[in-house]
Amino acid sequence: MNYKHIVSMVIMFATLNVMSQSEPYAVSEIPQELKKNANAVVRSYDVTVDLSSTNKMVVKTKRVITVLNKQGNRNINASERYDNNSKIRDIRAIVYDKFGKEIKKIRKNDFKDVSDVDVQTLYSDSREKYLDYTPITYPYTIEFTSETVSGTTAFLPWYLPLNSYFLSVEKSSYTLKYEPSLKIRIKEKNTESINLNKEESSGLIYYASKNINAIKPEAHSEAFVNIIPKILFASNEFYYEGVPAKAENWDELGKWVYEYLLKDVNDLPASTIFKVKNLVKNETDDIAKARKIYQFVQDKTRYISVQVGVGGWKPFKASDVDRLGYGDCKGLTNYTMALLKTVGIEANYALVYSGNYQQSFDEDFALMQGNHVILNLPIKNQEDIWLECTSQIAPFGHLGDFTDDRNVLVVSSNGGEIKRTKKYNIEENKQVINGECNIDSNGSINVEATIVSKGMKYDDRYYLDKFSKRDLEKHYKDRWNYINNISIDKTEFFNDKESISLSEDIVFQANNFAIISGENMLLNVNVLNKRTYIPDRYRNRKLSLKIIRGFKEIDNIKINLPSGYKLESLPAEVITETKFGSYKQTIEKNGENSLLYKREFVLKDGKHPKEEYSNFRNFWRDVVRKDNLKVSLIKKQ
Amino acid sequence: MKKYILLLFLSTSLTIYSQDYKFGKISKDELQEKYNPLDSSAEATYLYKYRKTYFEYREDDGFVLVTDIHDRIKIYNQEGFAFATNSVLTYKSGGAKEKMTGLKAYTYNLINNKIEDDKLKKDAIFETEVSKFRDEVKFTMPNIKVGSVIEYKYKIISPFYSNVDEFVFQHAIPIKKLEAVFSAPEYFSFKFNVKGYLEVNPVNSKVFDKIVFKNKTRAEHTSATPTKFSTSTIDYSNSVSKFNLTNIPALKEELYVNNINNYRSSVKYELSYTQFPNASVKYYSTSWEDVVKTIYKSDNFGRELEKTNYFKDDIDKLLANNSNPQVRIGLIYNYLKSKVKWNGYYSKYTNNGVRKAYIDQVGNVAEINLMLTSMLRYAGLNANPVLVSTRNNGVPLFPTREGYNYVISCVEIPDGVILLDATSKYSSPNVLPFRTLNWEGRIIRKSGSSALINLYPKNKSKNTVAMMVNLNENGDLDGSIRTVKTAHQAMSYRESYLETNKEQFLEILENKYDDIEVSDFVVKNGTDLSKPVMETYKFYLENQADIIADKMYISPMFFLTTTINPFKLKKRDFPVDFGYPTTNKYMINIKLPKGYVVETLPEAKSLALPDNLGEFKYIVANNGDVIQLTIDSTINEPIISSLYYDALKEYFKQFIEKENEQIVLKKA
Repeated sequence: MNYKHIVSMVIMFATLNVMSQSEPYAVSEIPQELKKNANAVVRSYDVTVDLSSTNKMVVKTKRVITVLNKQGNRNINASERYDNNSKIRDIRAIVYDKFGKEIKKIRKNDFKDVSDVDVQTLYSDSREKYLDYTPITYPYTIEFTSETVSGTTAFLPWYLPLNSYFLSVEKSSYTLKYEPSLKIRIKEKNTESINLNKEESSGLIYYASKNINAIKPEAHSEAFVNIIPKILFASNEFYYEGVPAKAENWDELGKWVYEYLLKDVNDLPASTIFKVKNLVKNETDDIAKARKIYQFVQDKTRYISVQVGVGGWKPFKASDVDRLGYGDCKGLTNYTMALLKTVGIEANYALVYSGNYQQSFDEDFALMQGNHVILNLPIKNQEDIWLECTSQIAPFGHLGDFTDDRNVLVVSSNGGEIKRTKKYNIEENKQVINGECNIDSNGSINVEATIVSKGMKYDDRYYLDKFSKRDLEKHYKDRWNYINNISIDKTEFFNDKESISLSEDIVFQANNFAIISGENMLLNVNVLNKRTYIPDRYRNRKLSLKIIRGFKEIDNIKINLPSGYKLESLPAEVITETKFGSYKQTIEKNGENSLLYKREFVLKDGKHPKEEYSNFRNFWRDVVRKDNLKVSLIKKQ
Repeated sequence: MKKYILLLFLSTSLTIYSQDYKFGKISKDELQEKYNPLDSSAEATYLYKYRKTYFEYREDDGFVLVTDIHDRIKIYNQEGFAFATNSVLTYKSGGAKEKMTGLKAYTYNLINNKIEDDKLKKDAIFETEVSKFRDEVKFTMPNIKVGSVIEYKYKIISPFYSNVDEFVFQHAIPIKKLEAVFSAPEYFSFKFNVKGYLEVNPVNSKVFDKIVFKNKTRAEHTSATPTKFSTSTIDYSNSVSKFNLTNIPALKEELYVNNINNYRSSVKYELSYTQFPNASVKYYSTSWEDVVKTIYKSDNFGRELEKTNYFKDDIDKLLANNSNPQVRIGLIYNYLKSKVKWNGYYSKYTNNGVRKAYIDQVGNVAEINLMLTSMLRYAGLNANPVLVSTRNNGVPLFPTREGYNYVISCVEIPDGVILLDATSKYSSPNVLPFRTLNWEGRIIRKSGSSALINLYPKNKSKNTVAMMVNLNENGDLDGSIRTVKTAHQAMSYRESYLETNKEQFLEILENKYDDIEVSDFVVKNGTDLSKPVMETYKFYLENQADIIADKMYISPMFFLTTTINPFKLKKRDFPVDFGYPTTNKYMINIKLPKGYVVETLPEAKSLALPDNLGEFKYIVANNGDVIQLTIDSTINEPIISSLYYDALKEYFKQFIEKENEQIVLKKA
């Protein structure tokens, strides 16, 4: 099917409508299957990208969406961004009622025009026009039409047949018209589950898909961005803010990033160079030098988000960051890189997708992307070191769940290369609790414990030593929310940044922890590390199981019983071993009136088919049940 | 209050070294200070906070309002870095706009015992248009380090002299020294209002000033005569108020506080009238009566209320032969709710007008509720608008036009008062949306007179739960549960139940109680707001007993047990605001597993809060193989003063403990 054919089809379709008097947008026309789990249904979504030259891109969008209920309002997406390099030529919308009858027209000037700045961002020069419509009744339909033009062609729109949870799509299409001498690369991802129609001819690429059912989010599954079908496009020749460029693989793209974005921003004042050289003059080892410079950057700078230009890809000059003492991720990373260079250490700028979900760059498809920048430090005969330059408190080489274990683009003067960031293994994500718990005859407890956290466990709480007393009180009361009436006597932290380990010393008491009924006292033996979370149950699990990160927990608690009571019976040792992890719990007698509670819990990271989800959930249920183990004490006669 | 004054005196004497507050005169002492000696937890502190607001006469514009700002901030640690970034919002309307000028700012650091400064340059100042009415200037200071002192000053010139921004005296960080000046020419009469816990007393004085006019005159018909310039002078006086405060503590957010701004110390100047030479007096507002008059007279309020033509036919048809007032209220209220939808905007004034809102079927709060009021009036009911300040707008402590931001409707019938808000789908007569439950509103009667009216509901919102369970010998439960909710609890139930996909709702319910399996789920009266909403279902739940040897320990409320005390902090300064009074009643029947008998049963217990604020009753009985438990807990007031905090905390602690008490069963 060529493009002309489609056009004539559309025309034919339109005439048919007039003749038959049926309203195409009527809600009754939506197939039943598409309404399941859907808050809104995309009736049609057609994007046409016109790349008739490398320095101009015109994008025409027509999107018809039927909103079924209140939650569906967020899927309207009737908005366009613009900035100094792009503008909105046309934007309008028509609202239809459930019978498909037009009820309201919205013109360009009725769209709200706002600055596209989020709370964390100091400044962004991009703006947004969006539709602010109050529905009178559900369902209703919005037909949104827009046309934008941009001088930057480095970022061709992607074809996303489905772009949200609780949303289904009746039909959508994507057309890329381009100057036939250009070379367009295409990458199709996760398209197995949909019925994709593709046409290609000279200067034209056309994709279409139909009837995609809504999916709903499920706990412990792969991130939405990693499972939805998407088709990425890139032109080997493009313009970036008025400057032409060429790149067809990661190496060339990296070269371009280096030449165009990084090469001219690494200047530093002589005074700073002197200071830094002086700082490391007694160090012989590169890692030790880098560690000092990283600390220097952390002490000198702070993170401020400023977005200028399309996507804001170019870092501030290193000399500006040096003068101002702040920058965004690009500026701070580039600054650290420039400082390291002055002492002869080569470090590389790395583009990455940040966030808990590990979103990767595709090894075989070069494309400008990512939302964050970190620093890569290659070390001879060793694993690379990665530096997060926006944090004033992160230890040297600690990435945490923000940027761990994913493919990133590492840029050097030699070109670009895909590398994988550090993965945190089970043994690294370790938490060890050693403690002693005294119980008195009223059931009150008095606890002294030391909690040592490493790896991701460290990542969860290394900022605790910055908390005020009041916030700490709140933190512990939330962390041990199964203990009521906690009163904290002492907290002390030792944050060892060198070995990346946090040690918390805590002393607290709580009234009525053990429950007295009659002659008995009922005691939950796991005082400090009781799991209460059970993964959600799904009547019909659809998505496969993903455990992003594993960990290991070891507890050793000495429990001193009240003098007037004795243990009725000693619970048996418990050992569970599954493909998701293991659990071991033992209680031993430790002299006349004392017990030793030992627990070891391991969760393994990994991927499993959806059928395994209920077993995974059962494993957690089992852990929760075992953590809730109570022993019965009885009054001595 | 006395305590505060004492504290202030005490703390004043603590400041030892004398300071120079002139712009740029930063001392080493200030840079060396490691923490605020009066509040060591402060991440930053205003060393000096200055604001002067005064009038300037400009030949082209007349009087304009000028505000000078000068702040000096000490940053103690990294958490304080946030105070190195500032945002200044300016207002604009029509062609007129506020302008920010003369921004000067420096960061000071002590380096090798030498003070170094870094100037804020243009590239770190950003201007953005936030909306049609607001511009924003943001700037962030260079070279911020732990220990830095920053200082900035600027001017805001405003043509909107009838609106003087509140003087805010208390912030999220402490202030060591605060100076504020307000000065207004004799032609402007301002009313002065104070709010908050601090003792704020201005020193007042009179300062004389003059305006010099340049006049151009040209003699007529004699082209040879050159233009003559002359000047004339008008003398006038300014009344000046000066505030001088030291060591103001930080104001911290607390949980369950209605709106922290209600407790923030501030002074508001409200223009009451202007009287220029040779002109008549123009009134703005002085009392609540005046405020009400101004609002009522506004074209976007009173006049809108008088319009009836646009709905006449529809309402005539709707009411037909019904003459019962209660029925008429119900018909109109439900009709309007289904006809006109709220667009999400709060306002006491109409925007597009009631007529357009009616035709478009969309309106803001004023359009909907003024329309409601006039429809009710048209139907012969004694209906009036009630001005409301929403919870996020704070409590209107003194008369200002901005004090109220919302309007609802009130019908007075012989049996009492009915409050109505037609913007919310699940709100019903006298069950107002939570956002409006904020102390008192002001009813405006046809005569233009007004009176206060309590917005908090008097009737308790009831939640009645009846649960029947069979306990199996392995600790599993199967049973059924029936929950009946009224008023506000019914409203929030409906909001979540009717606005979510049914399957999702069930999954949320199942996952809320960890592992429960729900069947035969039925909701009655979901959409019939005149009746309590009733939810029934059957359930199955494993492992609800601790089985140790031949004994079983159960917590008799099972998954309905309250386990977490919401009041955890030791001390509280602000009232606890529940929004509405509540009663929760549980009736639980437990059938014991075969072969088991009760060994220990908790004792009955009742608890009461002082001054009849609330009570808790717990009764448990064993009858053969059945245990019957009844729990009644009531909070009688929507709001409880912080004076009762300790009692409230203890009350919650004790009833939670009681609910968690175990019943011990034993094999017979």
